[in-house]
Amino acid sequence: MCQKHSEISQNPSHFEGTAEELVTSKTVQANYADYTKGMKFFDPHIHMTSRTTDDYTALIDAGVVAIIEPAFWLGQPRTGLASFKDYFSSLVGWERFRSSQFGIKHYCTIGLNSREANNEALAEQVMEILPLFLYKEGVVGVGEIGFDDQTAAEEKYYRLQLELSKEAGLPVQVHTPHRDKKKGTELSMAIALEHGIDPSMVIIDHNNEETVESVLDKGFWAAFTIYPFTKMGNERMVEIVKKYGSERIMVNSAADWGISDPLAVPKTAALMKIKGISDEDIRLVTYQNAIDAFAQSGQINVADFETPQVIDQSLKFNGNTVLRGGQIPRIDKNSLIIS
Amino acid sequence: MSFSEQLFEKIKEYATSKEITWIESKASGSLQSLQTAFVATPRFISKTLIQSTETINDLSIKDWSLDRLVRVYLLSQMDSSDKDSYTKALDTLFETAENNEAVALISALPFLAFPDYWMLRATDAVRSNIGLVFDAIAFQNPFPMQYFSELAWNQLVLKCIFNDKPIHRIQGLNERANQELAISISNLAHERWAAGRTIPAQAWRLVSKFMNEAIFKDICTLFVSQNQNDQIAATLVCNETDFSAAKEELEKHQELQNKTFSWSMLEV
Repeated sequence: MCQKHSEISQNPSHFEGTAEELVTSKTVQANYADYTKGMKFFDPHIHMTSRTTDDYTALIDAGVVAIIEPAFWLGQPRTGLASFKDYFSSLVGWERFRSSQFGIKHYCTIGLNSREANNEALAEQVMEILPLFLYKEGVVGVGEIGFDDQTAAEEKYYRLQLELSKEAGLPVQVHTPHRDKKKGTELSMAIALEHGIDPSMVIIDHNNEETVESVLDKGFWAAFTIYPFTKMGNERMVEIVKKYGSERIMVNSAADWGISDPLAVPKTAALMKIKGISDEDIRLVTYQNAIDAFAQSGQINVADFETPQVIDQSLKFNGNTVLRGGQIPRIDKNSLIIS
Repeated sequence: MSFSEQLFEKIKEYATSKEITWIESKASGSLQSLQTAFVATPRFISKTLIQSTETINDLSIKDWSLDRLVRVYLLSQMDSSDKDSYTKALDTLFETAENNEAVALISALPFLAFPDYWMLRATDAVRSNIGLVFDAIAFQNPFPMQYFSELAWNQLVLKCIFNDKPIHRIQGLNERANQELAISISNLAHERWAAGRTIPAQAWRLVSKFMNEAIFKDICTLFVSQNQNDQIAATLVCNETDFSAAKEELEKHQELQNKTFSWSMLEV
């Protein structure tokens, strides 16, 4: 610890921002949305089944018009095939409908996640039903698949699913491990290339400063998850965009049942704007690149979320009509009276 | 001409030659290949809207997208000679259905063999909170009218009223009106009124033939409602019913009695 003030000013800790950043952090916290007015966002990785309707309201208010929900594990392992089937089915069924009620276009990727690949008996059965879901409308990729503990079973099912993606002509959304990330990322890319998959069809997710260069150099898409404590912070993300530009880079929230932030994409956009990154670069990394990557599935029609929709009476539910464009029935959260 | 052939004739009015070629290449396939074709349909068939007001097997296809019509046609082409494999192929589709697929499956119910076998699928669609899926069984679909028990039928109609959905689009609405349903509508109105809420005025069209003292009181309430639609409904019910007290009540509202009303005025 520095005790003398003179030492601090000569050798500032890297935790201390500039005077300008200090002002920023103190003044724009409450109204960061002022910096993203008129922007729209695409969050290509968010687990809405774990989130509330409040989050949907917050997303559309912040300008998030479309999202991708990758299939993942639910915090504890599933014990039977029917649980997987119902989960996949909910991603193309109930959750898709729930999202539409808030005017947000919902896509998903379908796959056997790396953790549960380790239950080989069940994994075999899941592999059999994957093709039933991969060809459905709005399924924009195989995902999220890849390595967690980097076991032999994980590798086996990663390879099998890469083959499925080739057959279906779908992009692949690759989860990279928390532990030993750099090695896991390199291995994931090497295996994809070994299977003859074009790197432009592969989105390597959860990148950081250590992995990004190699991912971009090899021609893959580099996704960054802005997730408190365990993954990227958005200040670090700004530095990444400053250093590497906006080509083939995208940000997502990966918001799930953990302490995470569904507004990570718009918040990162605001921070980029404050820190002087161009509007076009912001648009690319928070919207367009994700669309370009996943639209290779042929399953994204941008008109579905770029043009205002007429009122769809069939979306009437329990007396509420939810209009696309965000005219959601509001409740005043501070009101004591519930009517 | 079979229903299946009629569907194909209709498809030909809207499909491009390329689309027709794709459909023809799939239409005589095995159960498994029809299953795959059903899922893949939107990759090959557009979402052009059908404008036709004709019905096929009592099913109105107006405002359907072409891919929905093609999917129903493909299902109608499935070989039902072996019940087990036929129902298994369709059950798999139901259990893995994406929303638009679910809508097509429910729409196809009037064309499927073994109608009794599909009863749970039909009533589950009524239980669905996914608006599009519910609508596929509730509206423009003859299956509930033909096969639902009174209990299931009443559930369908009540859920429509409860959710402010247009009950006049339910096929067989008047034909299957019944005493239990009339009582349930009255009870629903009481609940809503107690909460300071309302029910859609056209719901009262289902009580005319089943008037009793309790329902008659409701009609009197409607006459003094601030909402003109409620007054119209009360007048129409009193015109239609044989219940003498209702006839007398109508005499008291001469400003309404002499006007020409119809339920279609309340169809929203």
